[in-house]
Amino acid sequence: MDHKYMAEQLVKKCLAKGADEAEVLIQTGKNLSLEIRNGEIETAEEASSQGVGFRVFVASKMAFSSCNDFSEAALDNAISSAIAFAKNLTSDVNNVLPDDQGVTEVEGLYDPNLTQVPMDKKIEMAKTVEALAMKDPRITKSAGAGYGEGESEIFIANSHGLSKSKKTSSVGFGVSVVAEKGEQKSSGGEYCSRRHFADLKSEEEIAEKAAQDAYEMLDPQMVETQKAAVIFDPDVARAILGGILAALNGERVLQGASFLRESLDTKISSELMTLVDDGTRPKGMRSTPFDGEGVPTQKRVVVDKGVLKGFMYNTIVAKRAGIQSTGNASRGGYSSLPGIGPHNFYMEAGESSPKEIIRSTKKGLYLKGVTGYGINPVNGNFSGGASGFWVENGEIAFPVKGLTIAGTAETILNGIDMLGNDLDLNRTMTAPTFRVQFMQIGGK
Amino acid sequence: MTIKRYFVEDIPRRKFLQMSLKGGVALAATPALMSQLLSCNGAKQAPVDVSVDKQLLSRTIRKALENGGEFADVYVENRISREILMEESKFKSAVFGINQGAGVRVISGDKTGFAYTDDINEKNLLHAAEVASYVARGSKVVSPVDIHEAERESYVTVEIPLEDIADEKRLEVMKRANQAALDYDPKIKMASISYYDEVRDRTIANSEGLLLNDALPLLFFIVQTLGVGNNTRHMGRERLSRHSGFEMFDEVTPEEVARTCARESVAMLEAKDAPAGIMDVVMQNGWGGVLVHEAVGHPLEADNIAKKVGAFTGKLGQKVASDVFTMVDDGSLPNMRGTTSFDDEGTQMKRNVLIKDGVLQRYMSDILSAKQIGQERTGNGRRESFRHIPIPRMTNTFIDRGKDKPEDILASTKEGLYVQSLSGGSVNPITGVFNFTCREAYLIANGKKTTPVKGATLIGNCLDIIANTDAIGNDLAFGPGICGKGQMCEVSAGQPTVRIRGINVGGSKARRG
Repeated sequence: MDHKYMAEQLVKKCLAKGADEAEVLIQTGKNLSLEIRNGEIETAEEASSQGVGFRVFVASKMAFSSCNDFSEAALDNAISSAIAFAKNLTSDVNNVLPDDQGVTEVEGLYDPNLTQVPMDKKIEMAKTVEALAMKDPRITKSAGAGYGEGESEIFIANSHGLSKSKKTSSVGFGVSVVAEKGEQKSSGGEYCSRRHFADLKSEEEIAEKAAQDAYEMLDPQMVETQKAAVIFDPDVARAILGGILAALNGERVLQGASFLRESLDTKISSELMTLVDDGTRPKGMRSTPFDGEGVPTQKRVVVDKGVLKGFMYNTIVAKRAGIQSTGNASRGGYSSLPGIGPHNFYMEAGESSPKEIIRSTKKGLYLKGVTGYGINPVNGNFSGGASGFWVENGEIAFPVKGLTIAGTAETILNGIDMLGNDLDLNRTMTAPTFRVQFMQIGGK
Repeated sequence: MTIKRYFVEDIPRRKFLQMSLKGGVALAATPALMSQLLSCNGAKQAPVDVSVDKQLLSRTIRKALENGGEFADVYVENRISREILMEESKFKSAVFGINQGAGVRVISGDKTGFAYTDDINEKNLLHAAEVASYVARGSKVVSPVDIHEAERESYVTVEIPLEDIADEKRLEVMKRANQAALDYDPKIKMASISYYDEVRDRTIANSEGLLLNDALPLLFFIVQTLGVGNNTRHMGRERLSRHSGFEMFDEVTPEEVARTCARESVAMLEAKDAPAGIMDVVMQNGWGGVLVHEAVGHPLEADNIAKKVGAFTGKLGQKVASDVFTMVDDGSLPNMRGTTSFDDEGTQMKRNVLIKDGVLQRYMSDILSAKQIGQERTGNGRRESFRHIPIPRMTNTFIDRGKDKPEDILASTKEGLYVQSLSGGSVNPITGVFNFTCREAYLIANGKKTTPVKGATLIGNCLDIIANTDAIGNDLAFGPGICGKGQMCEVSAGQPTVRIRGINVGGSKARRG
């Protein structure tokens, strides 16, 4: 059946069954996943799936239901369930649906050639990346290589006459290996994901990075507990950006559960930091012509040279805040309500090369791995496990593991004093290499 | 999607890579794909009938093994769930879900083929069987055993079935929690109450002749409260979850959950900067068991052992922990969050002693890894849904009761950190390096709990931590959680009050001396 037509008809059905307003989201998709270990297929998985989600409003009360059975009885049942349940909830004038008919043009989100690539080639890629990563004599074991791809189509329609669809694809592969030396074990891995098969990095590049990731951390040393500079590798940008992002959630801000709640149009960080959320980047892994409820996406500067310019909103939270949706309704899929989330979220590049940043650091931690929850979005506190390299007199001295780092969002963000030129926009939620003047480092 | 926020493990990039390679690269590669979207849908009607006839299950298994392979199974699932969110004293949203489907798996040597379908009919099941059989091509053909219904002891009892509960009852427990939280202290400015329940109907049939069916209820109740102090805010959290009927709320009231949460929010408003560096840690009984769940439990899952990459590879029968340390995974504890009567491959749940008096006894296995390492099946083969392959997972995992009195453990610790509760953490199962974030913690001075300190990270290596556990209390308790390993599953973690010597604590303040 034509799913666009089906979504529109189901909206009508919701209204006929008693909803004042309704939204229908249909998702179909298929995926393939291959896992390879020691040159053999370990797991092969292939499937297609589908589902529909109904968001209904009854007297400004909102409920949602989903099902993955497209029979008429199942769909009727799901709609009735949502409507019946909505009646029990709290009425809120902000419970509205978007009506923006616009669609942002975003190129390259779907690769029509992806499924044409022969299966043997996909298996071969995973086998090759594993074999290449194992070539280094310091690498002793494979923890597995993998290849995955998927296609998804989304149809969204609502009772304001909005009806949109999009088709996207994604593909990725990677490998994870172990380096051993005596009793020591160190694991490393690398993967690459893209919208188009042809844009994937080479097996050599992925394998080399995975192997290096593992062996370079052998023979770590422990350093004293101290305050020192911390250089953040792009691999760990998420540790800082994740907490900022959660604090930029417009609903958290309204609830007082964000450390940025009173910071609009004020300076929250060093002038070096500019944060952008871009839903429009061609071929972007998080790009989309419209957000999770059909609002057109945009490219927004969220923090401009250290000054906070705005938060992120979906339609309902924006109405409550008295502004327009920023096109940041996120959606896990057909079975979930829209939340608030970013698209391609990143810190803009600066001018220094990573080498220059290391060279100008007298003493500090070149951070390659962080564990923990990152910045606490409620109060800005940060604490995490840390690994990477110790820098002395502008040079990498030795690997370090088992350290901790801590600070607050305020001191970390204001402490950014060098910014790299190595931004890779193919990563999601990323930053160039940057340095924080000093943080508390926990060691022996 | 409130529930998705509460991972036992958060997913740093490196960790994510390892998990995604295990749990399917598709997860990393295809963020918008549906295979990862299940687990918290909601619905209210009686189950749609998905009983698949025995003949069809048999035909599917036979088809799956047609090209070779030594084992095949079919898993048919129907999950009806509902989730309600109350925030700022308003019922903001309700989500129902009806999800059904079937997964077909074929094992041939070390290889697994898997396919699933949302739409359960003969054509789709046989097609899935054919796709799954891809990996077995060319291997020896084995004929499946005819399936017969099997018996399993049940560890999940229900007094008040979730299907019979009026929606008003659900809303009422939420209102009660909300009110109790706001009444607790004027510093509590907001409460967020999340209610989730589901009934998961499972049918499992395999080529060994097994046929099993049951319906598994699950309740998950989460309270979060925002405490507002002079210069700081703290979001507290408390969770209650069981595989049981609605009687759960008679045994632990919504008010108790809310007050426990509010108490944390208020107490932590006084938190000072935590110290940084290596110190002794006393962990209060209960959810702190997530430390051994991560640090010891994951490395004891047999999949990484079979690959010979796990931190405990080759250590069976060896002394790996201090003499006082005994650790158990027990999926048969009545009605607990990690409990089922049988795992998602049909293996009966039982008590598995993993480490006894410091000596490694066994690994946690599913059907495949049990075969690979030549060990019995322990009942740890679990799957998030029909869209996921079963893999070795924990159930209710805990440090067993010791002999020390909790108050003595604290009193005999001169200086250090008293961890009342942890948020969660993660581990690299290969290297055994773990991390945890403290939710509520206090400094210990002269054997007494003193100043509360801000959420610090604890890090270390699994082998060190169990070797350095030198006191274990007699006050075993549990807490509920969600464990992520490429796919989600419900678990509980437990421990008595314990002391671990010399953990690296990541505070923001240099320690004196």
